Order: sequence, then C-alpha cells, then structure tokens
Amino acid sequence: MKDRLAAAVTQSRADYTEIRVERTWSSAVAFRGRRLETATVSEDQGGFVRVLNKGCGWGIASFTSLDELPAMVARANELSRAVRVDDPIRLAETRPQLADAILELDGDVRGVPLAEKKKLLDRYNGAMLAVSNAVVDTQSSYRDEVSEVWYVNSEGTSLYQLRPEVVVSGTAIARRNGTIEKGLESIGLRKGWNSVQNFENQFRVVAQRAVDLLDAPRVRGAAYPVILDNELAGVFIHEAFGHLSEADFVYENPQAREMMTLGRRFGKPVLNVGDNGAAKGLRGTLPYDDEGTPTQDTPLIKEGILVGRLHSRETAAKLGERPTGNARAISFRHPPIVRMTNTYIAPGKQGVGFNDLITDIKLGVYACGAFGGQTMLENFSFTAGWGYMIRDGKVAELVKDVVLAGNLFQTLDRIDHIAGDFTWNQMGGGCGKGGQFPLPVTEGAPHVRIEEALIGGDV
Amino acid sequence: MIDRLLDAARGQVDGADALWRREEQTAVSFESGRLKAAGISEEAGLNLRVVAHGRMGVAGTTAAKPDPKELVARASASAELGEVVDLAFPNASPHSLPPIPTFFDRTANASLSELIRMGRLLVERLGRPDCQVNVAVQREVADTAVGNTAGARGEYRTTGIAVTADITRIAGDDVLMVYDQYVGADMPSDADLEALVRSVDTRLTAALKIVTPPDGALPVVFTPAGLAAVVLPLEQALSGKTVLQGSSPLAGKVGETLFDVRLSIIDDPLTPGRPLSRPVDDECVPSRSNGLVERGVLGQFVYDLETAARAKTQSTGNGRRGVFGKPQIRYTNVLFRDGDSAGARHGVPYGHASGVPLLGGGLIADIEDGLIVDDLIGVGQGNVISGAFSHPVGLAYRVQRGEITGRVKDAAVAGNAYDLLKKIGGFGSDGRWLGARWSPSLLLDGVSVARR
Repeated sequence: MKDRLAAAVTQSRADYTEIRVERTWSSAVAFRGRRLETATVSEDQGGFVRVLNKGCGWGIASFTSLDELPAMVARANELSRAVRVDDPIRLAETRPQLADAILELDGDVRGVPLAEKKKLLDRYNGAMLAVSNAVVDTQSSYRDEVSEVWYVNSEGTSLYQLRPEVVVSGTAIARRNGTIEKGLESIGLRKGWNSVQNFENQFRVVAQRAVDLLDAPRVRGAAYPVILDNELAGVFIHEAFGHLSEADFVYENPQAREMMTLGRRFGKPVLNVGDNGAAKGLRGTLPYDDEGTPTQDTPLIKEGILVGRLHSRETAAKLGERPTGNARAISFRHPPIVRMTNTYIAPGKQGVGFNDLITDIKLGVYACGAFGGQTMLENFSFTAGWGYMIRDGKVAELVKDVVLAGNLFQTLDRIDHIAGDFTWNQMGGGCGKGGQFPLPVTEGAPHVRIEEALIGGDV
Repeated sequence: MIDRLLDAARGQVDGADALWRREEQTAVSFESGRLKAAGISEEAGLNLRVVAHGRMGVAGTTAAKPDPKELVARASASAELGEVVDLAFPNASPHSLPPIPTFFDRTANASLSELIRMGRLLVERLGRPDCQVNVAVQREVADTAVGNTAGARGEYRTTGIAVTADITRIAGDDVLMVYDQYVGADMPSDADLEALVRSVDTRLTAALKIVTPPDGALPVVFTPAGLAAVVLPLEQALSGKTVLQGSSPLAGKVGETLFDVRLSIIDDPLTPGRPLSRPVDDECVPSRSNGLVERGVLGQFVYDLETAARAKTQSTGNGRRGVFGKPQIRYTNVLFRDGDSAGARHGVPYGHASGVPLLGGGLIADIEDGLIVDDLIGVGQGNVISGAFSHPVGLAYRVQRGEITGRVKDAAVAGNAYDLLKKIGGFGSDGRWLGARWSPSLLLDGVSVARR
C-alpha cells in the first residue's frame, strides 16, 4: 500500500501532496433496556488527498473508491489551483518520518467472536438493570475497532500505523412518576479486549446513583466555592482552556493572538496544564498525528503562565513556532485540524488530598462526574453527573442538575488549590470541532478547587 | 446494486431490505476573510438488513465493489445474535410515491467559481474592522435507492446547499461570536444571502454594548436558534423508541392537552425545498406529514418499522439509516407553529427568513425586564428528556421597558421545557428555517435567570 501511495505522490503535479488511506475493521453491540439493538461487524475504507501549490490554497479530495486514487490526486490539484491566495500558506518544517507504528492491541478484538462481545455487554447492561425496579431503561454499547492508517507525503514521510480502540458505555435511566434521572459510565481506551473486562461494579454504581438522584433536590443556582472531582476537572480543562490553546483559533486573528500572548498569566502558581499525545495507552494517544508529525508532551500553562499552544504544521509556520503533533482528523472523510489529545492538569503537591481542599469551605458544591461540556471560547459550560453540597467543611447531601457556567479568565484565575491525587480519565465519547465528531481524546486531573464559580439552576 | 443484493438475500433469509446511497460534496472555505481551501468528497455505501429465523441483523460496506454474498453472510451472522422482530416490510406501493421536488439543477450544476462567488460576497458584506469572518459553502448531490424483498422500491436524487457564516469579535478578553446559516435544497437567492447578512449584522450590532444581566424568574424570548434547549426534550420524548422504553414523560398521554393550545408541532418530509425532504423513507415507507402536537394536544409519536412492530402500530415513515448501523427513528423537517395563525395553517412556509430579521420577533414591546436568548452553551448535555435545562448564555440580550439595552454575559438560564410550553406568551413574526427546524421566536414566562 505504501508503494501505491508513494507512486501516486510521485505522479502528483502539485508542490506538496499528502495521501492518507484508512482501513478500519470494527464491531459494535448495543442494548436498549433488555433488548439487543444490534450486533454487527463492519469494514470501512477510503482515502484522503490534500495538495498545496505556491500562491494557492489547499485542494482536498476524500473518497471511498481507492481505484480512483490517481484521479483524485489530479482533482485535488485542480481545486488547489482554483483557490488563489494573497497570503501564502506555508508548512513548518518537520523531519521526514519512516516508520511502522503498531500500537499494543492488548487482546486483538478481531479474534474475539461477536457473541462474546454481546455476552460481555449483556453482563454490564444486566448489572445496571438489576439495581432497582426504578431503573426503567438503559442504553449500553460496546464498540471496538482496529484501524490501519497509511500516510505518505511528498517530503519523504511514509508511515503505517495500527490504531486499536475499544469503548464500553452505559446509561441507566431511573424514573419515578414524572421524575427521570440518569447515570452514565463509559470506558474508552486505545487498547483491546483485555482492557474492558471486570467493570460490573462501575455500571452498578452509576445505576444506583441514577436511582438516588430521583430523591435529590436540584442545586440552588448561585456562586459557590466548588471542588471538581478528577473526571470533571479533566473535562473542565479540556473545555475551558484546551480549545483556546488550539492555534487555529489565534493564527489568523491578531486580537485573539493578543488575548493568548505567551507569557500572559492565566492562573495562580499552583496551575500547570499540558497536552500529551505520547502518553501510553490512553484514548487520545497516537505515535504520529495525521500530518505525520510525532506527538509529544506539550506544556501549555506553567505555574500559572501561558507557555505554549497546540499546532498543525500550518499554524506553527504562521506563528513561527514548532509543530506539536496535534493535527488530527476523525477519518479519511476529513482534513486534519488542530485538536487536543490527552489534556491534563498536573497534580499539586504530593500528599495534598481532598480533605485539604474541603476543610475550610462553609457552604459549597462538590461537583462530580461529567455529562459533557461545551465552550464558546471565553465562556463555557460543563455539566456534572451529580454533586453534593459542602457544609462546614464536610460532604453533605446529594444534589442534581449541577451545571457550571464559567468565564475562562475568571475561573482559571480562581483555581486556588490542587490535590496530588492525579488520575487519567478513561472515558469513551469524544470531542467535536469543525464538524468532526467524535474524536478520541481524554483528560487527566487531580481534585481541583475553584474559589468561586457560578452554578446555574433555580434561584 | 440493490436488486443484486436483494436477489442474493432471497432464499437465504426470511426477508431483507437495503439502502444504497452515493454522495458527492463540493466545499469551499474562507478563514478569517480569506479563501483557504476547496475540496470534494465522494462516498458510496450499501446497507443491508435481514430477518433470518425471525431475528434481525445488519451489515454495511463502503467497498467500491461490494460482494453481495459476503454482505448477506455478515448480516445473517449479525441476525444470529439479534432479537426476534415481527418486521413487516412494506409491499410495493399501489400508488406512486408522493411527488416532491428534491433535486434542483441549479444546485447540482453550480460551478466551483459560483460557490466561491457566494462565499466572497458574504465575506465582503460581513467584514468589519476588528472582526474575523469565516464562511463555508458546501453543496451536496446524493442518489438514494431503497428496496426490500416484499417488492417495494424507491429511488430519488437530492441536492443540498449549506452556506454558513460566523463572525468573531475579540476586544480585550471579551469574545463575541455570531453565527447564521442558509440551508436548502435549492440555491440561495441574493435576497436569501442578504437576509443572512442582515441577521448576523443585527445581532452583532445589538451585542456591542455589554450590560448587567437581570436575575430572577423572568420573561424570556427564545429566538429560533435559542429555542434548541426547549425543543430538544420534546424531540426526545416524542420518539416512539423512548415511549417503548418507558423513559418518555409523554407516554400514554396521546389525546391530552399538554401544551399551550396554540402550539402545533409537525414532522413533514414533504416540505418542498428542504434538504431532508424525500418521497420515501430509508425503509421503503412512503413519506407523509405527521402532526405530533396539534393545538396543544399530543397527537402521535414517530416510529420506524422496528419500533412500530414492537408498539403494534404503523411506521410513521421516520426510518433513517446510515451505511453501517440499523435503521433508527429520525425526524425530517420539524415545524413549530402557532396553530391559530391563518398564515401558518394555510401556506407551508419554506425558504429562508423573509423580510427584515427582527431580533425578538416583535415580542419584546411589553417586557419590563427580561432577556432575548439567541444561543445557550451546552445544549444536549445533562438530563435532556426530563425537560429540565440549565445553561450559561452564549448570546443573549437584556430587554428593559420594551427595548434591547445590550448583551449580557456571565448569566445562566434554567427551566423545565414541558412546564414552560404550557403557556406561551407569544409567537414571534420571525418564523424561519434553521437547519431542519422551522420556528418563530417564542416568549416564555418565568424562566430562571441567574447571574454572577
């Protein structure tokens, strides 16, 4: 395959040409309540061509029919030449990479019968339904894939990557009369079959929580001191800050560049943030990004100061910085754009625990788990799975509908205490941007305290 | 291709249906006011569902030369693990399928330079100092063929065009983003593009001044874009699937008056000029318009073949399938209308916003203190089907003594969609399409507004 792509690149008349071909084997099982929804095996394959010419813009072609490859290279070249640009597009220099990067499969999902996958999910789904009669519905899904990706460009890079992925997730829906609550568990890893065994208890716990939430009051909308648990703190840093650190937001925008000037203070000295696509076995892990740049651990905030951002080759060239291996595409159907990988808040001092964060809070909220988050750059929202009131330094009653409404600058600056209990999230799901969803990413964080944050709700 | 596949399935399984779809897209994008890229994408895929020994299974492929036997074998293997379903594949329709225009030559034939011209026009019209404008123009031409072993067949071509514009203004640490789009099956007229420009301009201009948000239980005008948080719970609760699963709060309430007696909600795959309109659904069920809520009364839920079989009712023609999964319930064009308004009752509204986009839809004159909500952050997260929502505002304006006084930030709105829709303070005069949904602005009273 590499030779076929290399031949097509050689024949290209464009100044720069890259070709990415993917072949993805996947299987999926889903339950809704006690009923099996589907159990299927699929094969998806296709190619992506992107070319650049001097004085011209990008020409792009994606296709499922690989027989068309040479014709598609020619089409992409025509499209590039039809786009005249005044401001030339440049790509930051990278060293050509030649490699076969085979990620650890940890139990090759292609060798496991579909019936076994159904049995595993049935167990997890059954564990949720067995919790209580109040659990009226569930949505459970198992999905795995092994994706082969070939990437060749006209600068000499030639890569083959084998990327596994497995996600098991379950939603338990509890209902009593008109009140409906849900609990969500999700495990996602860039690994295989062995890594998703023995999670019954986690599924049981979320179903029980959905039932418990039926009787929990809604949190009262107000500004509170808030402690985020590890999972929510991770989602928070992804939403609140991560998207702003993607350089495609600033590279063409002088005002945005000013707002995100390196050296600007974003938080107190306790705050350290980064993005690490090279971390081992996580959902956002990749040896190379979709422009063939090796991934790395990129510091973004060091002791409260903005020190870096995430780049593609194009954004790095424009800003005179170095590519960071963050140009990613969800599939051959899309061009690579600047994305996060595994984003983290680094742990505080070793030995600092949850108790040190809560002890001097008179009235506050302990926000746990994440249903999701969204950002509009300066402002963001993230939805906790559940929460507890904090009263006189102690965790008190369970509350529901905990949604944090935040302003990036104010909220980051109000992080005043960070525990040492760092963990990586192992959630499925994914990130959406520019019509590309879901991109596998994850986050990691310890417990984090925000001096004051706005929680929406009844007033 | 469909016929060859169904032939291969016959004799091997009890019954089967299949979908073949080929899509071609052409797109141009302008970043920060500059033309940056042009691209095409071509994709074809085949999806097969079988019922074998009473059990259902599916398989799909994007292979350029799919092997019918391999696909039938894979779907049959899937069916071995599948549930027993009493699926009734529709027979060949004695009547011809409803004639609706889904294919527009002008859209299909628009040249790359025509797409670039439209994008450039928007960039020029929207440009302001200190603002960054992104514009994307995307045209799609698709061929769809559906068929089943009971003899039903459907084939049609569709066109679609989406023109999206977003403008970002950063002043110090204040980030303001305003977005709008034209989506249709036919090309936008220059007037449509002008309406898009005015819509973005109006909302941007009114947002330049920042004012303190109010707080308390207040009257709030939700614009067609801002309504998403309010209509999403309804769309989930009106799905036959959630009813079957026992998680819809509307289950068992057909025939009851649940909402304001002026509110009607229609799912209509026959609206001319909309990209999701089609003569037949992805399971060979002929399209028809379905009244989901009629003058406040819950009319019916939407079903596909499988959920209809389980609920012992008829499919409403809402089956939609991709290349890989099984068919699922999907809405087509959903219209939220004032059932009392003569205009809405008679003419089927289509096309883009007509006339001047009035921010607030003419509903703010009597508001002493309240908000216009145009965008909320995080819609769709949280416990949607319960009806409860709580979101920070993405774009919202304060209304004082009947006038817009400026944009509010750092505020969050919360409420329960089912409760709020029991009494609608007013339907705006600004009804329009936003993607696949048509609605005017709605004035809802007693929405919780919290500020920092």
